[in-house]
Amino acid sequence: MKKIVLLAVICLGALSCSQTEPKEEQEEKFLVVATTAMLGDAMEEMLDTTVEVVTLLGPGIDPHVYNPTKKVLDHLAEADIVVSHGLHFEGRMQDIFEKMSRKKTVIFLGNALPESKLIEPEDAGGFYDPHIWSDVELWKEALVASIPQLEKSGHYNKEGAEEYLKKVEDLHAYAASQVQSIPQKNRILLTAHDAFSYFAKAYGLEVVALQGISTVAEYGIKDVEKMVDLIVERDIKAVFSESSISPRSMEAVMSGVEQQGREVKLGGILYADAPGEKGSGAETYLTMVKHNVDEIVAALK
Amino acid sequence: MNDFWIILEGSLVAVSCGLLGAYLILRKMAMVGDAISHAVLPGIVIAYLVAQSRSSILLLLGAALFGLLSTFLIEILAKKARIQSDASIGITFTWLFAIGVILVSLYSGNADIDQDCVLYGDIAFVPLDTLFLGERDLGPTPIWLQGFNLFLVIAMIRIGYRGFLITSFDPSFSSGLGIKTDTWHYVLMGAVSFTVVLSFNAVGAILVVAFLVVPPATAYLLSNQLQTMMIYTVIFGVLSALIGFYLATWWSASISGAMAVASGILFLGVLVYQKLLRKRKKFLAITN
Repeated sequence: MKKIVLLAVICLGALSCSQTEPKEEQEEKFLVVATTAMLGDAMEEMLDTTVEVVTLLGPGIDPHVYNPTKKVLDHLAEADIVVSHGLHFEGRMQDIFEKMSRKKTVIFLGNALPESKLIEPEDAGGFYDPHIWSDVELWKEALVASIPQLEKSGHYNKEGAEEYLKKVEDLHAYAASQVQSIPQKNRILLTAHDAFSYFAKAYGLEVVALQGISTVAEYGIKDVEKMVDLIVERDIKAVFSESSISPRSMEAVMSGVEQQGREVKLGGILYADAPGEKGSGAETYLTMVKHNVDEIVAALK
Repeated sequence: MNDFWIILEGSLVAVSCGLLGAYLILRKMAMVGDAISHAVLPGIVIAYLVAQSRSSILLLLGAALFGLLSTFLIEILAKKARIQSDASIGITFTWLFAIGVILVSLYSGNADIDQDCVLYGDIAFVPLDTLFLGERDLGPTPIWLQGFNLFLVIAMIRIGYRGFLITSFDPSFSSGLGIKTDTWHYVLMGAVSFTVVLSFNAVGAILVVAFLVVPPATAYLLSNQLQTMMIYTVIFGVLSALIGFYLATWWSASISGAMAVASGILFLGVLVYQKLLRKRKKFLAITN
């Protein structure tokens, strides 16, 4: 039996080695691999045009349930820089990234922020909420903190980066002023899963989510009831669903409210974990946040 | 080199799971792997709550303990309650999984703790999970772990071949002979639980459950003799890993998914081949 195993291993070795050799002929671009499109489009702007940016998680993909393909491995193995969110957003991939960081540059964007600015959810046992991009100013700070590592790569595009960061700054001002236009008592954001706590903290809203950060424990009847009571009690106008989560949970809340003889409307779809698909009008970080702000303001005003 | 590591890891998992799976099939407990994949959830949550950290070794330990516990429960239920082993597998793992779900919703609502996030790895990342000794690069960690585990599994089977065989085929006969059926059973289940959890951590659930069942089932089509069956199992397991890898490259799809699909295709191929062979024999017998 052992002999067979040994033989098989040798055969495999021979087969797979012969397959990999001829690949490395063509001249390769400086490859930057970003885990999400938020990171990807920031890198496009902040690095010069000779680099190639690859984004691993496409639009609408829940990073909690992610099946990497062979291509993903190839990209990661060939990458010159890997850019990730950190703060355990990438789940088990983060362990791999930490291993890889001994051999190549891996940026953990969120990890560079001071702990005092991070939000630690209740009962999370020392983990921070990784959804930092919903606070635009904090996101900018994290991007700025990555500049030394980008400079080291030799492909940092100072002009492009400054221009991009300016746009991010403007977006922050826009979000802040737009939220200010919502009457104080209406500033409450009801969402499906817990991805907007930074947004709420930065722009002065209250946020209530049906589901925690993990998606395995489904929302309970109690959670739905609690939210229904809250809506009735405080006369809340709208609830929001998210692009990567089924709208069913929010429909349950809405029909619960209806049974109490009140009405609450669905305030549009928010992009929480990733920008939208091509043609959705929210395919980059900047347009995604603007879309979210506009939807929220339109529904709550 | 990356391709080689992935195929090697797939083959190592296929061989260690397949050899254990051969016994499981004889015991009509083939779905134990699937059961363990769910039953580990409370183990992970409790390990996390006790340690308040996501350190993977502790979580792995918790998972392995609950894997073992689930095999105990399955056996106790089957024996004491005198129900079919498939029913006792069903009761045990749904119950343990449900307890895990309750624990998640009660205590760790805000931490991302479930087997998808903390236990299941993916075979695509195996080559990147480098083991360092100081500054020396020793190759992927999962290969070392899986290789060591396979060594233990083979050693165990060499030592206990007859014991496992006789207790698998005819438990009442072997206890009549004074053989400690329970001891053999728990040693085997311990090995299954440990192998399965270790493999989950490296390659994810679907591949492990498939390799535990499909290659030995394919081998069982060809031979009723355990030793021959194990040799076929090894061959089909390694072939599945190899074919699956190239399918995944070709389709640009999930590697573990493609490997599991390849094992199913091999099973179908052997089945059809056998049916045709039998028909032909019948035909020849009639015409003669």
